[in-house]
Amino acid sequence: MKITTFAAIYIGSYEVSLKIFEICPKRNMRSVDYIRSRLELGKDAYNKGFIGYELVEELCQILKEFHSIMEGYKVDAYKAYAGNVMRVASNALFILDQIRFRTKIEVSVISNSEQRFMGYKSLAASAQFEKMIQKGAVVVDVGGGSMQLTLFRKGTAITTQHIELGIMQIWEKLAKIRNMVSHYEMQIQELIDKELEIFKRIYLQEKDIQYVVVMGDYIGEMVKGFSKKEEDGTIETERFLKLLKKWHRKSPEEISVELNLSNEQDPLILPSVVLYKRLTEEMNAPYIWVPGVNITDGIVCDYAEANHMIRFEHDFEKDILSASRNLAERYHSYSKHTEAVLSMGLVIFDAMKKVHGMGKRERLLLQAAAILHDCGRYISLVNQSECSYQIVMASEIIGMTHLEREIVASIVKHNAMPMQPYKSVNDKMDQESYMIVSKLTAILKIANAMDRSHKQKFKNMKAVLRDRELMITVEAEESIVLEKGLFSAYADSFEEVFCVMPKIKEKRVFQ
Amino acid sequence: MEKEKDFLKPEYYENRELSWLKFDYRVLNEARDKSIPLLERLKFVSITSSNLDEFFMVRVASLKDMVHAGYKKKDIAGMTAQEQLDAINKDTRALVELQYSTYNRSLVPLLYNHGIEIVSAHEELTPEQAEYVDHYFQENVYPVLTPMAVDASRPFPLIRNKSLNIAALLTKKNEKKKETEFATVQVPAVLPRIVQIPSSKEGIRTFLLLEQVIERNIHQMFLNYNVLCAYPYRIMRNADLSIDEDGAEDLLQEIQKQLKKRQWGEVIRLEVEEKIDKRLLHILKEDLHIAQEDIYKIGGPLDLTFLMKMYGIDGAEDLRYSSYKPQRVPQITPGEDIFAAIRKGDILLHHPYQTFDPVVDFIRQASVDPDVLAIKQTLYRVSGNSPIIASLAQAAENGKQVSVLVELKARFDEENNIVWAKKLEKAGCHVIYGLVGLKTHSKIALVVRKEEDGIRRYVHLGTGNYNDSTAKLYTDLGMFTCSEAIGEDATAVFNMLSGYSEPLSWNKLIVAPIWLRKRFLKLIKQEVKHAQEGKEAFIKAKMNSLCDRDVIAALYEASAAGVKIELVVRGICCLKTGIPGVSENITVHSIVGNFLEHSRIFWFHNDGREEIYMGSADWMPRNLDRRVEIMFPVEDERLMDQVRHILGTQLADNTKAHVLQASGKYEKIDKRGKKLVNSQEQFCEEAKNAVPKKVNAYQDRVFIPAEPVE
Repeated sequence: MKITTFAAIYIGSYEVSLKIFEICPKRNMRSVDYIRSRLELGKDAYNKGFIGYELVEELCQILKEFHSIMEGYKVDAYKAYAGNVMRVASNALFILDQIRFRTKIEVSVISNSEQRFMGYKSLAASAQFEKMIQKGAVVVDVGGGSMQLTLFRKGTAITTQHIELGIMQIWEKLAKIRNMVSHYEMQIQELIDKELEIFKRIYLQEKDIQYVVVMGDYIGEMVKGFSKKEEDGTIETERFLKLLKKWHRKSPEEISVELNLSNEQDPLILPSVVLYKRLTEEMNAPYIWVPGVNITDGIVCDYAEANHMIRFEHDFEKDILSASRNLAERYHSYSKHTEAVLSMGLVIFDAMKKVHGMGKRERLLLQAAAILHDCGRYISLVNQSECSYQIVMASEIIGMTHLEREIVASIVKHNAMPMQPYKSVNDKMDQESYMIVSKLTAILKIANAMDRSHKQKFKNMKAVLRDRELMITVEAEESIVLEKGLFSAYADSFEEVFCVMPKIKEKRVFQ
Repeated sequence: MEKEKDFLKPEYYENRELSWLKFDYRVLNEARDKSIPLLERLKFVSITSSNLDEFFMVRVASLKDMVHAGYKKKDIAGMTAQEQLDAINKDTRALVELQYSTYNRSLVPLLYNHGIEIVSAHEELTPEQAEYVDHYFQENVYPVLTPMAVDASRPFPLIRNKSLNIAALLTKKNEKKKETEFATVQVPAVLPRIVQIPSSKEGIRTFLLLEQVIERNIHQMFLNYNVLCAYPYRIMRNADLSIDEDGAEDLLQEIQKQLKKRQWGEVIRLEVEEKIDKRLLHILKEDLHIAQEDIYKIGGPLDLTFLMKMYGIDGAEDLRYSSYKPQRVPQITPGEDIFAAIRKGDILLHHPYQTFDPVVDFIRQASVDPDVLAIKQTLYRVSGNSPIIASLAQAAENGKQVSVLVELKARFDEENNIVWAKKLEKAGCHVIYGLVGLKTHSKIALVVRKEEDGIRRYVHLGTGNYNDSTAKLYTDLGMFTCSEAIGEDATAVFNMLSGYSEPLSWNKLIVAPIWLRKRFLKLIKQEVKHAQEGKEAFIKAKMNSLCDRDVIAALYEASAAGVKIELVVRGICCLKTGIPGVSENITVHSIVGNFLEHSRIFWFHNDGREEIYMGSADWMPRNLDRRVEIMFPVEDERLMDQVRHILGTQLADNTKAHVLQASGKYEKIDKRGKKLVNSQEQFCEEAKNAVPKKVNAYQDRVFIPAEPVE
């Protein structure tokens, strides 16, 4: 039983943290040490747009110490990530280079969706999670600058929304009026309500949410006092709210003392109380669960999964599909046609395996693209390519990396227009991704062409690759002149990509 | 609220300095106890004397500073600094009086009866003895003396703090004018203070004090002068370091600088022999800038700490307690894997009844164990030639991550600690020189070990310092555990001490200066609540000192609410017992025994779900507010029982315990008709009995002959 010692480093906007884990295939992961060093990189990054050398110097010093701590634990591997603070810093590349040079630590910058996905993975690693999302759950990941709401129904993700509302941000927004109002907590509440209202209106119409799962600072301390919990570790929302209401009007000092916080006058405690109170009230779920995980836990889950040390019960790919479907439905573009294109696209993809050399993940991207290929029509029937692209890019699909989203958006875009040369998109993706886009677009176009009339005339489609021909056999009950006629135009572009010519062979079925 | 205020009335509190003096009285009382072996009684006199020295250097000095600074604020008992100084002066004089009458009237005659003679003045020597003394002086003393005369061209020299000196008045020989001159010579500290000289009688050992040897021969140093008179004197200086930490770039250098300054501190006490010549005293008074009230005329030898040397003289075993050998801890077999022993369950250590060796061994084994990744420890006062330091250095050389917090600000040990700190740094340890503004008083050691089933942390927590010599004299409690919750907290403590963020919350440990006071007050309030609900409520606690106003007020409130409070407080206790409506439910015992009581135990009834804590902190403002202290819960049922037994026995002690009366006096318990309990002796016995008997392994070994198969 090999135990891997792993270190997760996260560079956040006000804290640099190192968490040491032990990963053991048969046991859960165990956190061994958690070292946090306060460093307000955000001050520079958000105000000036870059991070000044003093802070970089300090950051390197901290990471150097982290490095020696990692050596002390004899860690087998580590991952170091930086979040939003590096994304907005214009000199991020130079900083990363300095860090690499001085501390021998490789830091990668991750996008919001990747960051949230990691947090989500750390949730999925626990056993209760699967049961909760079956019954319907909202996962709320509260950070300093923003939060992420992810809605689950029937075991899969429905949507994920990024809301620019974080604990630190609330506090700073209200900094100017803090001393002018007597009921500071009311102001916080108003600010929060405004942001939450829209999410609630769009997604929470049906009252089917059983659990609110909350990740974030302070909440762990808040629920610590509940000795009586449900079997799965959740707490009845009513009891939780009762407690929060009690604190609602207390001073930060009083709350800090009650929570046993290290900082006696934590300014962020009041915004947190109000925010958590409003969140739980609005979600209207009978139970609340505080798993007590954060990004560093996510980093280790991500690593362990990638190295086959753990397997998730949860199927993240299903999330991608359900979230895509939900997105398509929202833009009234999910129809029988979508499903037909989806299934035909997959038949072609599978038949072409030897030629295109793509794997499971790309197949998933094709599915997502097929589901979303018509969403732009909701906005403009003429300009649907661009609109589809924009919709996909503006929506977060949990489980997809930023690059994958770009790929899917590009496929959807080029589905209705000719493929552009690489040089026109080389700022957005590398050549490998460009090839994926080209190949998948070619497949999608053929699949789409076969249901041109949106009437699902083709039944029992089969595809077989023979030499340089892809023989697509279909059964049809009515005339397929339109489809056949338009097919040849797309077949050429298909051949261009794969050097394989698709051909339709009709098997007329009479009843 | 109104009621709460009541408990803060100054008349409910005792001044801490006066309470301390009462403690010194109790120690002196032991010297007057006829049931104690004679040399042990000498030792107690010596302790009162060295205690008093430290008290002056630190406490009286800072009160003087307050007076100089015009600080007018009153203490919890409502006294200004000047009022306190006046009261201290009065009480100290009485104490010194008692000290010397004990020494002169009982101890010296008793010693003589037991064949030990201390010649009080060189004038009493027989001719043979005198010859021996003169010879001894020439051979041993004269070469190391530095006489210093004072005149127009030679200013008054620097008299070192705590040093014994002889002042003499001289007149030039062969000069008509009888102009007197002043000279002083330090009694060398490098030579033994007691000199054994030939005895005039059979079966008697005779001793003479070094200053008498010098006095007798003082004319040898001033050959051109006539010595009019010569008397010993001794001074005490202000020794409280004031360190500008914010401005001090390097704490190490700053402390070294301050140490040099200590010898220049203001003179706050002058001790002279009773019969000193008036002219001589006048000169000393003028040149040392000392007020009349700070001069103490002593009727006997100055600086009674030499009695500690007397205590250690060869032979005379019947005049001492037979030395006690700390016993083995039953759960830990010497020489075997200590980590395996800890894995079997938490282990309580009770020093000095049980040996300190496991703690030394803990670090030693860790230093050579290939599975150990890191060792982290706080060091406050370390013994000379400490095996722990050696092991830590060894561990660093073996490539382990070793972090050591060396508290440079440990009073009177600063010099010592600087040496260790540098040594450790050289060996490759990560040395942290304490925290700015806080003294790190907590005693914690953490060993991180990579085992087959992952990383496991072993923690030692204690009430006493990691000092293997004092562990033989101080009663302390320690605990070994590999509990994950405590291990996590211990890691967090060291992260915090290394300058990283505090953990968001703690599992088990309660850490001062941030959380400890609140927790104590909360625990006391909890008992108040239970008492008000009519449930049983009690607090039993043991500590060295109790002088925190908030805690005392909370205790008064608890007492008023009906909580039964039993305290064992060794030293200072600013709480007053027996105030009607305020502290009737509080008893305070104080144990002064052969070992120095040092452990801290806090036991709360909590409506049957008892909570027992131990730790490094007293109920003093300095412990709760200006130090890093750790209090830890004892949660293992077996260990809880052990601790209950320990505290229970101490509360039942009626031999060595004094009880604080409503009058403010401490009195011994009337033992008539009671079973005698001497907690320290009982613990010695119990520790001996607890050691598993050696089994004769040989008997178990039987060779079994094989039977032929049918």
